Amino acid sequence: MASCPGGLVIIAAMAKGSPRKKSSAGRSGSSRKQSTSRRRWFWSLLWRLALVALVILVGWTVYLDAKVTSRFEGRRFEVPSYVYARPLELYEGAGVSADALQRELQMANYSRAAGDRPGTFSRNGSRFVIHTRGFRFADGVEPARQIRLTISGDQIQRMSALSGPAAPIMRLEPVQIGGIYPASQEDRVLVQLDEVPALLVETLLAVEDRDFFSHHGVSPMAIARAMVANLRAGDIVQGGSTITQQLVKNFFLTRDQTLVRKANEALMSLLLELHYGKRDILETYLNEVYLGQAGARGVHGVGLASQFYFARPVAELGVHEIALLVGLIKGASYYDPRRNPERARARRDLVIGVMEERGLIDRNAALRAKGQPLDVRDKPSWSANRYPAYIDLVRRHLARDYRDEDLRSEGLRIFTTLDPAIQYAAEYAVRQTLDSMDDGQDARLESALVVTARDSGEVVALVGGRDPDFAGFNRALDATRPIGSLIKPFIYLVALQRPEDYTLITPVQDKGFSLVFDDGRRWEPKNYDKEERGEVPLHEALAKSYNLPAVRVGLDVGVEAVRETLQMLGVTSPVSRYPSMLLGSVSMTPVTVAQLYQSLATSGFNTPLRSIRQVTDADGEPLSRYHLEVNQVADPAAVHLVQYAMQETVQEGTGRSVYRYLPDELSVAGKTGTTDDGRDSWFAGFSGDYLAVAWLGRDDNGPTRFTGATGALPVWAGFMSRVPQHGLSPVVPDGVNYHWVDDQQQALTEEGCNNARLMPFIAGSEPKQRVSCDGQFTRRIRSWFQGLFR
Amino acid sequence: MRLQNAGPGLLFVVTLLAGCASGPGSIYVPAGGAGGQSRPPAADSGESAAPAPQPEPRVSEPAAPEPAPRYQDESEALSPAARSLIRKADALLRAGDPQGAISQLERAQRISPRSAEVYFHLAQAYAAMQRYGAGEQFARKGLSLAGNDSGLQKQGWRLLADIRRASGNVAGADQAEARASAL
Repeated sequence: MASCPGGLVIIAAMAKGSPRKKSSAGRSGSSRKQSTSRRRWFWSLLWRLALVALVILVGWTVYLDAKVTSRFEGRRFEVPSYVYARPLELYEGAGVSADALQRELQMANYSRAAGDRPGTFSRNGSRFVIHTRGFRFADGVEPARQIRLTISGDQIQRMSALSGPAAPIMRLEPVQIGGIYPASQEDRVLVQLDEVPALLVETLLAVEDRDFFSHHGVSPMAIARAMVANLRAGDIVQGGSTITQQLVKNFFLTRDQTLVRKANEALMSLLLELHYGKRDILETYLNEVYLGQAGARGVHGVGLASQFYFARPVAELGVHEIALLVGLIKGASYYDPRRNPERARARRDLVIGVMEERGLIDRNAALRAKGQPLDVRDKPSWSANRYPAYIDLVRRHLARDYRDEDLRSEGLRIFTTLDPAIQYAAEYAVRQTLDSMDDGQDARLESALVVTARDSGEVVALVGGRDPDFAGFNRALDATRPIGSLIKPFIYLVALQRPEDYTLITPVQDKGFSLVFDDGRRWEPKNYDKEERGEVPLHEALAKSYNLPAVRVGLDVGVEAVRETLQMLGVTSPVSRYPSMLLGSVSMTPVTVAQLYQSLATSGFNTPLRSIRQVTDADGEPLSRYHLEVNQVADPAAVHLVQYAMQETVQEGTGRSVYRYLPDELSVAGKTGTTDDGRDSWFAGFSGDYLAVAWLGRDDNGPTRFTGATGALPVWAGFMSRVPQHGLSPVVPDGVNYHWVDDQQQALTEEGCNNARLMPFIAGSEPKQRVSCDGQFTRRIRSWFQGLFR
Repeated sequence: MRLQNAGPGLLFVVTLLAGCASGPGSIYVPAGGAGGQSRPPAADSGESAAPAPQPEPRVSEPAAPEPAPRYQDESEALSPAARSLIRKADALLRAGDPQGAISQLERAQRISPRSAEVYFHLAQAYAAMQRYGAGEQFARKGLSLAGNDSGLQKQGWRLLADIRRASGNVAGADQAEARASAL
């Protein structure tokens, strides 16, 4: 190319300079002959040195060329992986409140306007018009649409597409909830040249490099212009660097201003232009240019900067925002619109002036743009991980299948199961409940909350401590604590899977006893209230969480059987073989407890918990999918019986304060758990839609004044009370029948009787005897007559 | 539809009936709108506006009569949105894309997680990929939710029989077939 020799000449001239100096130092004689031969010798030396310099220069050029091309041919940028929340599915009947929808839209950086361009929405009470941006999901493209919908009773009632293809179900694009960044802490939202508004590109060239499409990497004209301008101002007011030079400077070179560096910059610019097209260079520049600072992390590229300042994709920017972005190139720190808004505004208006002067916009548009505020969001809206505890779970999940360096640089997209509305309610419940308990007295009180979708095992929310923004100890995943009475449903599950021995009304002994081990140690379990009640029906023993019957039943069915059941239901950590495990001296994390209770909530199907649905590459091509799995591990009939007793727990048993927080119509099932001196307070339970496990205690394992019912329960119920959802109403499985029984007499009875309870039995295990309302056993003949009239 | 409720609370029966009648069902609406404001409102409107910790929950009984554990005999209906996704999945399955079908079915499952039909379709998609183990599990999950709907039960047992036959479990297939025929 023509410019290449030009570059060489400059350097060659520089190389000529040094031998001259050397020769002048050696001058001494005066004879003509001598001088002629010396002159010949001198020229010969000069030529040789020039040749050496040329060889060095060629070598250096080859070296620089390799440096330029290797960076450009390979992956030019390390792009962080982005983590997304679940996309909100919009359909008639979808459970979402108007405020939650608005919050979701705002999290996705929709602005409240007319709802007539992508990325905007309008709301009038419960009526929304949303113009979606469209999103490429791995299972297909969700086109941009204008959707109108109405919300009533926390459900979408009427929904239609005003523009774009109609469908009974549409998805909003997922909200970005975090990123996994390169070691360099670089963040980047890569853009293609076509996505960048033409006005931005034209403005950039007008301000930074007017001859971009005609020069060959360096622009003597620009240098001359800059010199004149700088002389006139008596200061450096304009740079003569082309966009290519700026890119080379950022990409390959250090920041210091030496002559050698300048020469390298010029040479590399020429080489870059030699190898690559203008559009390629421009696109790379747009993704590389430094535009701000977020803590330790530089904000590079217009894609990220647009999110960073305006919380919107670059394609959606208006004239005044484009002007500000281009203006920032000159000095992102000096013109920082958040710290120095006046300077930034002056700079922006200057750029708007250039836009007008160059004919990119007309006078009216320029005036309008100058009249606009800066429109910069107060806080950078993006990617400082919003939910550190949840992202922690996602990263651990990813670590099974991905290398850390790939996550940090390959620009993967990770689609999680997090539901921002549920997470919001969960964080709020933890914080608010703990604040109300402390009265500022016990700031050491901590808590964790895990929420899953009941039938899919998707982790929809996770709170790792009372300050959810703090990325520290993640109690939901790492606090391994004794589970106390949370183990009891599993003891009774084992028992109820033997219907010939146990039903819900089987009398169990609430009487003290002592176990003597081989080594002479004695174990004497006690009830929490130290009372003993003699015989109680099994369902009541579970609902009221009596210890003595639980241990007796556990010993009867065998500690080993209980252990096996726990392991079948998904506990992978070692489980104690000591009988004290029957009172929950087995330690688990809240998320493990959630896995365990998932099987109870889903009628005996183990559903592995998932936090990720899918991972795709930067272009949306799927890399891995994490599917719904179900695996039947317990008899659905026996589980149905346990669910009955767990509903009874919250209605009549240890968990009945749940209905101080919940309205009666929201039916739930649950179980309390407490360990010695209130060191651990647990509550695990589920509704029709969600399973939640709450833990409360202190990090130093110190005592608290709380039980499962007074500590973790308010957290759990406070959360449940804030989420629109279906109540629990388990479908009766095959082989289970409901009967009216008198549980004290273990007999069938009449519906209207005082002691009558309607209870489920595994077919064949229902009582054979029948009592009347006054407790008298009746003849079979009576039931025979009843049979006639059914 | 048969509904039973032990408790005297007629309200529950009404709520439940309404819930069953309208497909996906009416849902519990938190007072003040699901924590919709920047600070969610308290759970209950009246007495527990600011639920304080209760050191002795056993002392004070709830004022209202105690409700009884709830259950239902019938399977839950599929919501129209889930139905549309299942149709899409069926088309993908016919076009030889079971993986694509599963993606749509999992969306449907999230919308109607207690409908037996969704699981039956998932079972079919996995069977089409010759993943019979997963297919059988989904068929069983669907059966556990079929309730007293003999049509659904029959469909489930037939499906289970087909999957077992395809996987070479002839005895299991015959058993499932017998269950289907008995309905």
